[in-house]
Amino acid sequence: MNAFTPVDWRARAANQTRLAFGQALLELAARDSKTVVVSADTQDLLGIRPYIERYRERFIEMGIAEQNAIGAASGMATTGLHPYVCAYAPFITARSMEQVRNDVAYANQRVVIGAAASGISLGVAGGTHHALEDLALMRSFPHMTVIVPADVDEAYQATLATLDIDGPVYLRLGGRVEEPPVSPPDSVFRLGKAAELRPGNDVAVIACGALVEPAVRASDALRAQGIAVRVINMHTIKPLDRDAILTAAAETRGIVTAEEHHLTGGLGGAVAELLAVERPTRMRMIGMPDTFAMVGPTMKLRAKYGMSADAIAEACRSLVS
Amino acid sequence: MKESREVLLRRLEDAARQLRRNVWRALKAGGGGHAGGSSSAADMLAALYFHRLRVRPTEPDWPERDRFVLSKGHANAALGAVLAQAGFVEDALVDRFYGFESPFGMHPDIKLPGVEMCTGALGHGLAVAMGMALGARIQKQAFHTFVMVGDGELHEGSNWEAAMAAAHYKLANLTAIIDANKISQSGRVADIIGVEPLADKWRAFGWQVREIDGHSMGEVVDALDGVPFHAERPSAIIAHTVKGKGVSFAEDTYVWHSNNVDEEIYQRAITELGMP
Repeated sequence: MNAFTPVDWRARAANQTRLAFGQALLELAARDSKTVVVSADTQDLLGIRPYIERYRERFIEMGIAEQNAIGAASGMATTGLHPYVCAYAPFITARSMEQVRNDVAYANQRVVIGAAASGISLGVAGGTHHALEDLALMRSFPHMTVIVPADVDEAYQATLATLDIDGPVYLRLGGRVEEPPVSPPDSVFRLGKAAELRPGNDVAVIACGALVEPAVRASDALRAQGIAVRVINMHTIKPLDRDAILTAAAETRGIVTAEEHHLTGGLGGAVAELLAVERPTRMRMIGMPDTFAMVGPTMKLRAKYGMSADAIAEACRSLVS
Repeated sequence: MKESREVLLRRLEDAARQLRRNVWRALKAGGGGHAGGSSSAADMLAALYFHRLRVRPTEPDWPERDRFVLSKGHANAALGAVLAQAGFVEDALVDRFYGFESPFGMHPDIKLPGVEMCTGALGHGLAVAMGMALGARIQKQAFHTFVMVGDGELHEGSNWEAAMAAAHYKLANLTAIIDANKISQSGRVADIIGVEPLADKWRAFGWQVREIDGHSMGEVVDALDGVPFHAERPSAIIAHTVKGKGVSFAEDTYVWHSNNVDEEIYQRAITELGMP
């Protein structure tokens, strides 16, 4: 009925996961007639204007009202629709957290939250617009699937993969910052199955989202110095790929986690929770320390707060020395 | 043969009396609960489930069913009791209120047949109901969605986000019933944070409003049968009610927003309510 016409979505996504999500919605809607997109005045942020043009009857603008967007999405889901909520990560997780918890997670409704501008991707916007606690909040809810794509290919595929998830999903997306490709060509996104991007048995870096690419750079730099660093792209925070983590812990001398998120409760926390119980392992954690970020360009802020290739490499070295 | 209005109203009044008895029965089983808000809502719940809602108790997930969301979820004793009375669940459920691993707790749980959403954290139901109404429109379904909110609940700002959006989308397939019993947990709503002029507020947000006596079965039936009040607006029924209605010692006092119920109190309550 709605034949999907492939477009050059990669060009339109411009190496930004938030835009890849918007492009993937076009294919999703063509494949699934129950798709409905809900916006919280975020039509450009998520790049959904092409979707709106094509599927006007399956688009609902809710305005600057995140609580309402989540509640309404839950109500729509109860009628059999598959809502995709487009929103700012800081607002949709913190402001409307009770709606996410009760209406979506507790009621176990099939609502996908596309959360753009996560981490410090809107660096100059300041702490009000940073989302450095969203993974901790979202992964603490039963029923919730939590995905953090690292580049546009992964974001596009992960968005399509939600077709097969009959429950709530939090899809963490970037902001107006380039996210260089890290996925090998023809790689296939598999929910809950981490991707190994570099082999190595000295140290393993388990990274997600924006810090996967610096992790790869750190690994390549250390390889030249004779240190073999395995890089694992842990794109699914929940359900966590336990096997990939436990295997890495068994085969290396230590684990470094890396994420653009507070050190409390995110990917590092999830990995530490598993290893503390199953296989106590030396760890280093790369992420935002317990402070609100200052204003600044994202790349400079990442360097300032130790979320860089250099910081990851240093953490790796500390585990082999 | 069509039921005469007189017979209809008597049938619904009897159902409401039975419902109030079942509310107190649930409260006795639980050792207490929200008598006030459950009783103020009882006449409207009886009219909804035994007259207005197109639902199938033996097929609770029937896609074309009318939806009812109890946003003021602390009145769940009344919702569970009416679902039992209507045959969605066994009558014995009433005696499992607050029970260990019971699907009938203080607040509605979607896992119970007939319950449309987990509510009770206030300010959630109107947005969810609006989503259901949007779902009906998008999928070209004819069902109507009713949501009951408390007047105190309207303190929650999220209600007004939903009210604004429902009018924006001209959701004539959505009706909000405001159970205006004038009392919240700590005292009179007017003293806590005033919500008046309530009808003007809803009108200003683009809703078509009718005010009724929420204990006059005739007015309740006429209002429920009369929606939508406007072809392009959501409907608001502001039902003026008495908290704890039907049992003198529980009426019009915040003390019975929620309170303990033992055998003696239960007996006094059902004696006042009389035989069904």
